[in-house]
Amino acid sequence: MNKQLEKLFRLPTVEDPYQYKKVRIVDIEDLAPDHRMFTLKFTDERVSQNFDFVPGQFIMLTIPKAGEIPLSICSSPTRKGTIQITVRRTGRKTKYLYTLKEGDLLAVRGPYGNGFPMDLMKGNNVLIIAGGLGLAPLRSVIWYVLDKREDYKEVYLLYGTRNYRLVLYKEELERLRKRSDIKTLFALDRFESEEDRAWADYEGYLPGLISKVDLDPEKTYVTVCGPPIAYKFIGAELIKNGYHESKIFVSLERKMECGIGKCGHCQVGYKLTCVDGPVFPLWDTKNLPNMI
Amino acid sequence: MSTLFKLEKAKILSKSRIFDFLNLLKENFDSLIAPVRKGKYTVFSEIENVEDIVFEYTRTLLPPKKFILKYRRERFTYDAQTLEIEKQENLSKKQVIFGVHPCDLHGLTILDQIHLGEFPDPRYLEVRRNTVLIGLSCEPDEWCYCISTGTAFPDGANWDLFLTDIGDKYFVSIGSDKGDELVHLSDGLFEEVTEEDLNKFKEETAKKKHLFDYERLPDLERISQVIELEYESEVWKKEAERCLSCGTCTNTCPTCFCYTSVDIPSLDGKKVQRVEFITSCQYPYYSRVAGGHEFLEDRTARFRHRYYHKFVGYPYQIGKFGCVGCGRCSAFCPANISMVKTLKKLREGKKEKTNV
Repeated sequence: MNKQLEKLFRLPTVEDPYQYKKVRIVDIEDLAPDHRMFTLKFTDERVSQNFDFVPGQFIMLTIPKAGEIPLSICSSPTRKGTIQITVRRTGRKTKYLYTLKEGDLLAVRGPYGNGFPMDLMKGNNVLIIAGGLGLAPLRSVIWYVLDKREDYKEVYLLYGTRNYRLVLYKEELERLRKRSDIKTLFALDRFESEEDRAWADYEGYLPGLISKVDLDPEKTYVTVCGPPIAYKFIGAELIKNGYHESKIFVSLERKMECGIGKCGHCQVGYKLTCVDGPVFPLWDTKNLPNMI
Repeated sequence: MSTLFKLEKAKILSKSRIFDFLNLLKENFDSLIAPVRKGKYTVFSEIENVEDIVFEYTRTLLPPKKFILKYRRERFTYDAQTLEIEKQENLSKKQVIFGVHPCDLHGLTILDQIHLGEFPDPRYLEVRRNTVLIGLSCEPDEWCYCISTGTAFPDGANWDLFLTDIGDKYFVSIGSDKGDELVHLSDGLFEEVTEEDLNKFKEETAKKKHLFDYERLPDLERISQVIELEYESEVWKKEAERCLSCGTCTNTCPTCFCYTSVDIPSLDGKKVQRVEFITSCQYPYYSRVAGGHEFLEDRTARFRHRYYHKFVGYPYQIGKFGCVGCGRCSAFCPANISMVKTLKKLREGKKEKTNV
């Protein structure tokens, strides 16, 4: 190529968002059948210390040879050093992940997405509503709020799942139940055993718990995460009980390949779950079709 | 890259010298890409012999995005044990794409906005920066509706040179420093613009809008609103009934960019290649997550999704429609589904029901 012309082909250097950071599995904990929590530590100590995120944000996890999956972080940014993820064994890639052992390598990109508006929620009550595996990203909110307890007023946790066998973080929930600075109400869909009856506060679905919460809706922010079907009912029940739709935040799940707005799969209405979400105010779910 | 169509930055290239110019491009670039005939279609292809190039065509089968955002592309290769990513050399060739129509130039500009905005993709940047775009004026056929989408002219798109046919000459607009350098390099090939040339250029440019059959064109006024208001319309279901979910519309679209990423281990299992494939929102598994839930639950939802994204999604993301009116999705649809007709039906349905 002509020299003068070639000079014009300069290439600016940009940071590559597709490059990942290596992590090592330092702990594996079985929470329930097909639900496992992995504790990850960056192999580079500086990355470990500098890795900051907001509860509700997610990472793209590379499972060697299997591929990448989006996963929300279930640990709190107030506890640095490691990050935790809770994974249900449900697809090809997670099956492969379950074959890995402590000490094995994985890789992480992120954090991505907006996360819950923890700053906005300061000085208000926090109502946390989790259905099933939806407790994972909200565990991050719980520990964040409890570690910065003076920033928030009353904290309430509603958690519902199918049966006692599927209850996640059992010991942690017991400890929360005994704490005085957080109120808890746990529901199971249907009492099938004595175990279920002994553990739960309520028999039925999550929306049934909402009217039992004694918080002033005017001064309360609500964070919700659960299976897609649950949002409609939880949303409607919250509105019925006087909560404001701009103060209710839901975290959505969508198919994602990139996490950075390039692959298109996570489009909801005119927004992208990965960059505009995954946390949306309930108002958005009215505004955008097919969101919940 | 300049985005303004500046008349003072223009030259004249006689048609008798066009092959000299193309040979010069071929000498200076690693590859010259231009439209050629392939069976009954015109396609963008790497050129061996400049005399194969087709100058008068309406639309190529695939848009030139296939040379910028390859349909199958390697992201990187990593070691399966250490997860170390292999160092990549600058692999991208310096290429020049000749004969790109205004709609496709706008299509590439939209892809630029998506890939070079937030979280810029370094690989796209590399390929894009190594590509010179030379546009060519065209005449519309019955599928074209670029005049409705505002993409019938190169104004507002990214390009380096743009050739407008003015009879036995091309009026060459210069759109970037690279384009300028190319003209400079081809000293002797280009002539200065005369008063007559300029008048001819104005005449030819003005002529284009009269070549459209206005009865056929879609009415895109408030189209985002119409699509939102008619979200539950029966039209979606009726049109989708004919849809084969084959993905031809998205594969031939100059602005569609959805991809899927797959990790492919080597046969000995030591290396893993991360490969991205172009995908389509029309495929059933497009929105399927682990566990089997599909967020776009049926063919109607997927069908509507494409229209919604083009006319409601893109305006939110990049401030303009994601459709450049090239007509490919309709012209090549095996089920004869036409974007223009669907939009017309939506608007008519609206009249019957709400009388707006």
